[in-house]
Amino acid sequence: MKELRQILKKEFTHIFRDKITLFLVLAIPIMLVLLFGFTISTDIRHANISVMDLSADSQSKALIEKITASGYFEVVSYPKTESDINHDFKDKNIKLAIIIPQNFEEQLTNERFVTIQIISDVSDMNVASVLNNYVKAILYSFTEEYNGNSSSAIELCTEMRYNPEANSVYMFVPGIITLIMIIVTALMSSITLSREVETGTMRMLLIAPVKKVYVIIGKVIPYMILSFISTILILVISVLVFHMPINGSVWLLLFVCIIFMLTAASCGMAISALVKTQLDAMMITMMGLFLPTALLSGFLFPIDNMPYFFQLLANIFPGKWFIIAIKDVMLKGSSFIDIWEYVLILFGMASALMFISLTRLDRRR
Amino acid sequence: MALIEVTHLNKAYGKVKALQDVSFDVHESEVFGVVGPDGAGKSTLFNILTTLLLPDSGNATVLHHDVRTDYLEIRKHIGYLPGTFSLYPDLSVEENLVFFATMYQSDIEKNMPLILPIWQQLLPFKKRPAGKLSGGMKQKLALCCALIHKPTLLFLDEPTTGVDPVSRKEFWEILRSIKQQGITVVVSTPYMDEATLCDRIALLQNGQFIKMDTPQAIISDFRGTLVSLRTPDIFRLHKLLSNAPFRCTYYPYGEHMHIILEQPLEELLPQLKQFLDQHQIQFSHIQQITPSVEDCFIEIVKNSHAQNH
Repeated sequence: MKELRQILKKEFTHIFRDKITLFLVLAIPIMLVLLFGFTISTDIRHANISVMDLSADSQSKALIEKITASGYFEVVSYPKTESDINHDFKDKNIKLAIIIPQNFEEQLTNERFVTIQIISDVSDMNVASVLNNYVKAILYSFTEEYNGNSSSAIELCTEMRYNPEANSVYMFVPGIITLIMIIVTALMSSITLSREVETGTMRMLLIAPVKKVYVIIGKVIPYMILSFISTILILVISVLVFHMPINGSVWLLLFVCIIFMLTAASCGMAISALVKTQLDAMMITMMGLFLPTALLSGFLFPIDNMPYFFQLLANIFPGKWFIIAIKDVMLKGSSFIDIWEYVLILFGMASALMFISLTRLDRRR
Repeated sequence: MALIEVTHLNKAYGKVKALQDVSFDVHESEVFGVVGPDGAGKSTLFNILTTLLLPDSGNATVLHHDVRTDYLEIRKHIGYLPGTFSLYPDLSVEENLVFFATMYQSDIEKNMPLILPIWQQLLPFKKRPAGKLSGGMKQKLALCCALIHKPTLLFLDEPTTGVDPVSRKEFWEILRSIKQQGITVVVSTPYMDEATLCDRIALLQNGQFIKMDTPQAIISDFRGTLVSLRTPDIFRLHKLLSNAPFRCTYYPYGEHMHIILEQPLEELLPQLKQFLDQHQIQFSHIQQITPSVEDCFIEIVKNSHAQNH
């Protein structure tokens, strides 16, 4: 144990003497959260829209009122024909046109389904999909209120349950936590381990009678602690600045974060066991772990929309499972029973990778 | 009883044969030198003996333990100073020593007498980061770290490469004193002049031991007459000697040209002088000299070449 303490002390000395790295490791998470939260935010307010009301009855008026009252939309014109709608798209810069069919109220009372047509400007795909979701959410709640009187429904394809306002910060925070943990834990520990190989100090440690597990653990724990601090920083900012809810248990959330940290640290160790230089370790961690995690974990692009091959590929990156688990805990308020499979997958990945790196470290070539 | 026994050791990296059929013993309390130019296979040999590398074939025992199977036992009792600076540059001198002492499960207080003469020279810099020390000081610190657990056997891979001549001399004095403490030292060096400071040396060339003996025996085995002459026309002379009317081996040696003749100097001196005058080569200090280990090395290498062709 005395050796482990000494290795930890040495590693912390390295970290505290390298002020730039320390600063980056603590500042990057804050910057990323604020950046994603404020600038890449896809929330849209007061979007210009047109409504073509073909029935002009009391229910269609009620629906229009509800759409306007949401605050997301500003109805700038009430076109009469479809060519008017085309003009609105060009001249009035509308993002969306809603066409309410004739006899809306009658259909709503007598038929099982009423179809409302939405035409959206998809030149900006993200804006279009967000606005579509808003409309769908409004229609959904409109029918819910109306259903008090009747059993009919407006046809809706999507359900929006856990993030009814499609608040984008909620989607980004789990992703940012994942990426930060990969940078701080996986990248830093793979760099620091391969640095020892590169400078030859690993040789000195190898021929010393100290237990190799101590060497590995002692090198990785400090970065796990740093990464844990970053995670807490991200969570605090998300809650305080962006009012991100944590519906589940905070302790469960932190537990899942620690398990993912173990997985990320094991990835870093396994990478450093395969390469000889810091540069290789960095390139492989960035290209082989960071980028695929950012692209395939469902954080930037929904996994369901990917080609089948990439959906399969996404499974081997721990980030996917972690994001599902913490989204469930934070947004759905899931308990451990609901997410234990994801935790088990992460833990299994961590153990396998740790085993590989420990056996590789002591193997002589 | 030999502390290191190596028989028919081979190691290749792909097609490059780093070690070919190397056999030797190292006895207790001797300073054994492995002398050879860069790329001769010195570091490979050291990596195998310090259990960091597996040999392809052949046997090696260190402190009576097999380097393949009993490597953990060997690691407890050896000290190793690698060929490249292998301490933490951002840790201070003192922090490095404390760190490695703990890693080797050693008590600094108890083993301080062993390293004290070296440690005292480092004391003024004990708060300085190891990376900011001079080359000589770096090696002294590395030596302290390698000695702090009082090893039975100390491996030093090119400890004086990149170290200034004064520090080199000092370093070798330290090695002699380490030997007096009963620690057996295996040291490699590309500097031939350091070879004479070892008890026994092995000359390593292209992965093969071409000669192994005491430096004195190697020098007395020198065949032929070694002639040294000083000339400002060293390059021209070097070209001309290939057409000399007598058989000789020649090579520049600092500002001198060394010529190994197969006959005594008295017989050839007139012929040699005539040859030099004929080509208008100015010279001075022409005389027969006692060969150094370097001369012996060159002679042995040239002879083995001659046998091969």
